[in-house]
Amino acid sequence: MTKPFYCQLEQFLEEGLTVAVATIVQVKGSTPREVGAKMIIHPYGKHVGTVGGGCGEAEVIRAGLDVIADGQPRLVRVDLTEPISMQSMGVCGGVLDVLIERWGPEETKAQNNAMWAEV
Amino acid sequence: MRAIAAALAASAERREAVALVSVIQATGEFSPALGRHLVVWLDERTLLGDLQLGDLQPRLLEEARAALRERRHARLDYRTEAGAITLFVEVQPQPYHLIIAGAGHVAAPLAVMASLCDFTVTVLDDRPQYANRERFPTADRVIAGPFREELRKLRGDRPTFDPNTCIVLVTRGHQYDVELLLEVLDDPVAYIGMIGSRRRVRAVYELLERERGIPRHKFDRVHAPIGLDIGAQTPAEIAVAILAEIIAVLRKQSPERR
Repeated sequence: MTKPFYCQLEQFLEEGLTVAVATIVQVKGSTPREVGAKMIIHPYGKHVGTVGGGCGEAEVIRAGLDVIADGQPRLVRVDLTEPISMQSMGVCGGVLDVLIERWGPEETKAQNNAMWAEV
Repeated sequence: MRAIAAALAASAERREAVALVSVIQATGEFSPALGRHLVVWLDERTLLGDLQLGDLQPRLLEEARAALRERRHARLDYRTEAGAITLFVEVQPQPYHLIIAGAGHVAAPLAVMASLCDFTVTVLDDRPQYANRERFPTADRVIAGPFREELRKLRGDRPTFDPNTCIVLVTRGHQYDVELLLEVLDDPVAYIGMIGSRRRVRAVYELLERERGIPRHKFDRVHAPIGLDIGAQTPAEIAVAILAEIIAVLRKQSPERR
C-alpha cells in the first residue's frame, strides 16, 4: 500500500533531482531499525523512509546532504550507546553502520555500460 | 543511476525478487568499484550495472542469488592479494501472498493492515455483497465465487501453493473453513490459520480423523484458534492478533514468545 521505495526514488530522479540514499548495512546491539532499512535524503527536506529517527537519523541526514554535494559515498557509524539521560531519551544502546550514496538522474560514465540499452 | 532505480522500481511493481549489490568499502585494485552497483535477479537474465569484479563475479552472483532465495540481506567480503572489497546485497524479496477466505468483519481490517505490512492480499468469499472493492479498497484482488473452486483457481497450474503463501480461513461457516483446510492441508504454505474456539477446533479434528481417516499430526501446523492470544475482542483486534501471528511465523519468532 505504501509506495515501493524504488518507485519513489525513480520518481525523484525523473524529476531531475539528485538525492542521497542511506541504507543500514550493519547493526550491533539494540537498534531502532534493521539491516536493509532505507531512507532517501531529499535536498529540500522531503525525506522518505527512516533509518530509525531521532538524533541518529539527523546525523545521517546531515551526512546525506554532504553526499549530495560532493558525490562521495560515505559509511557513517551512528552510535546510540550513550548512557540514558534526560538529554537523550531516545537512545537504544546499539551501533549502526549506514552506507550513504548519491543517486542522480545522470547516466554517469562510472555506472554506464552496454547493458543500459536493455532497460 | 536512473536505469538502476527504474529496474528496481519495475521489479517492485511486478512483485518479483531482486537484489541490489552496493559497495560498502573497497581498497587496492577494487577502489574504482566504490559507488558502483549491480542488479541481480533470481533468473539468468542480463545483469544491470557492473562492479568490475572480474573473476570474483560468478562467486558474487551465486552468493547474491542464495541471499535472494533465503530472503535475507547479506554482507560479503572478498580479499585478494591486490585489495579487498566489502559488498552489501540488499534483497527486495517477493512480497508474501495473503489469501483471506471469508470477507466478513475480521477480514476487512485484516486486509487493510496486511496491505500496510506489504503483503499481496487476495480476499475470497461466495457472497458478492461482501467480497467487493468497496469493502476492500486496499486489497490486490477481491474474488466473489464458490470457495473451493476459486481457491483452486488461485493455485493455478502449480501443483501446490508455494511457501510464499499465507492462508487465513475466516469464512462465515465452519463447514467452509474445513472444506478449504482440507484443500490446502498438504500444500507447503508458510502459514495456515483457521478461526474457531478451541473446543470447536478440537471437535473438527476428531471428526476428520474418525470420518475421513486424516491423521491428527497433519493438523499440527494449522494455527487454530487463529491469532496470538492477546485478549482480542473486537473484529479489528482479532485482525491484529492474526496478523501478529503471521508476522511471528514468517519472522521465525520462537514459539515460546508467541
